[in-house]
Amino acid sequence: MITFQNVTKTYKGSTVALRDCSIDIDKGEFVFLVGPSGSGKTTFIRLLLREEIPSSGRIWEAGKEIGHLSKWRIPYLRRNIGCVFQDFRLLPNRTVFENVAFALEVIGRPKHVIASQVPQVLDLVGLTKKSGNLPGELSGGEQQRVAVARAFVNRPLILLADEPTGNLDPTTSLGIMRLLDRINRTGTTVVVATHDAGMVDQMRRRVIELDHGTMVRDQARGMYGLDSAVSAAGAGSPTGTIMEPSTAPVARPGAQAPIPGLADSADRPGRRGVES
Amino acid sequence: MPVSAGYVAREATTNLWRNRLMTAAAVLTVAVSLALVGSALLLKQGATNATVHWQHGVNVAVWVNGDASPAQYHAIGAELAQNPLVKSCIARSQAYDYNEARQTVAADEFNATQQSDYPSSYRCVLQNPSDATAVVQQFTGKPGIFGTPSSPTAQIRTMESVIHILQWVFLSVAVVLLLSASVLILNTIRMAIFARRREVSVMKLVGATNWFIRLPFMAEGLIQGLLGSAVAVLVVLGLYWGIGLDTTKTAANQGNLIAQMSMGTWEVAATCILVGVVGIGVGVAGSALAVRRFLDV
Repeated sequence: MITFQNVTKTYKGSTVALRDCSIDIDKGEFVFLVGPSGSGKTTFIRLLLREEIPSSGRIWEAGKEIGHLSKWRIPYLRRNIGCVFQDFRLLPNRTVFENVAFALEVIGRPKHVIASQVPQVLDLVGLTKKSGNLPGELSGGEQQRVAVARAFVNRPLILLADEPTGNLDPTTSLGIMRLLDRINRTGTTVVVATHDAGMVDQMRRRVIELDHGTMVRDQARGMYGLDSAVSAAGAGSPTGTIMEPSTAPVARPGAQAPIPGLADSADRPGRRGVES
Repeated sequence: MPVSAGYVAREATTNLWRNRLMTAAAVLTVAVSLALVGSALLLKQGATNATVHWQHGVNVAVWVNGDASPAQYHAIGAELAQNPLVKSCIARSQAYDYNEARQTVAADEFNATQQSDYPSSYRCVLQNPSDATAVVQQFTGKPGIFGTPSSPTAQIRTMESVIHILQWVFLSVAVVLLLSASVLILNTIRMAIFARRREVSVMKLVGATNWFIRLPFMAEGLIQGLLGSAVAVLVVLGLYWGIGLDTTKTAANQGNLIAQMSMGTWEVAATCILVGVVGIGVGVAGSALAVRRFLDV
């Protein structure tokens, strides 16, 4: 579904955001993209949205090589991709229903399709009762559900989420992750860029770790930190590649308090690296 | 993907209303400049009609009786050609004079006549325009000549030059105003784009085509241009009826300059259409520029 082949992305001023990345993500996979700020997660998402083009290397998405996609085809590519952001990006003067319907309206879906699909997806995210409310009247978690509903209402092949729980408390985050998981079970490929260690450790899905633009780990059923990954691998977890980063990780035991009821907090290992 | 006209109209009018002060400024500027353009065109048309016999430097028009024999007609032509005061002559048929009268004679008067009632004519350019009176005298009363040959009065010549200057003043002021109208429209659209940047970013995210995003903004400029030109058309029509340039009033204005400047409905219609087209052009140009420059899709 998604293939990166030796992708390098350099921004002006020779900042390397992504260095020689080769990744394959199959249809229906759920992938966590982890790494500290500035590691290239957002660039990864922006490349997939074709908001950026790779400086070198090639990217295939839904069967198309998107690096050389002509400009007028980009909107059609994006119709196959749903996207959720940390800041929700809802339209404040439109109701929940209208926000979700907007995604269908602007791609020219007829009214009867909108009338049937929007309530379905609002039901999926559990916001049927709030469909007439404005985003400002909703909690952060509810707003993010609206954003997920909007991203999914068009039944995209791929759902991208850039720090979807970055603004939410742990319990609410869990709800969002469960929602993404449900969407993944419908066959949609889900890629989540996140800092949320608890979430990654709890979900135990494929983890791709980036550090300074380099992919340092690609592990099936991985955990957030490298230490936890190693211990998990040692405990006989499914296959995965663990690449040693060029710089030795700095262990920070107990850097983040365990979240009760979310992760197996009993023997939760410390997180690697320093986040800013 | 087809973009629904209803959607575009709805979005454009909502935006215009949200930004109504700027819209009003842009529409008024378009209106004033186009009213000037329209007036200049009316003036030009009026001047052309008033001086219709005197175009191409014609100094004397010799009218030949409609029922004069071909021999008489040619004799007059030959005489004019040999006259030392005359530089050159153009022969005009009855049909030509009849069509010319359509512009210069009051409508009801014109309708009461037919082509055979009109003379044919020779339009002559003289070696020296000041000899016009002499030529007129020489040909008055000759066999086959209809009435008295005409020559333009000094008034007509003065009017021609004044109108010529006025027309250029109007047109140059109008061009400057049209430029500022385009810039105002551009600015209105830019503000609209800025006000809707969230919506635009969401639209791009969910895969709206570039045209779907652009068209409402373009329509906004188009509507501003249209509104402005509508006001300008009203001004032009007001001028036309207000000062009695329509041929139905020619009889009442008999003899004065306005009667000579009178014109048919189609000439005013053409002026209005031109004003409309320029208005639409200015609106579309301003918004297209804004969309290209400020809407990164």
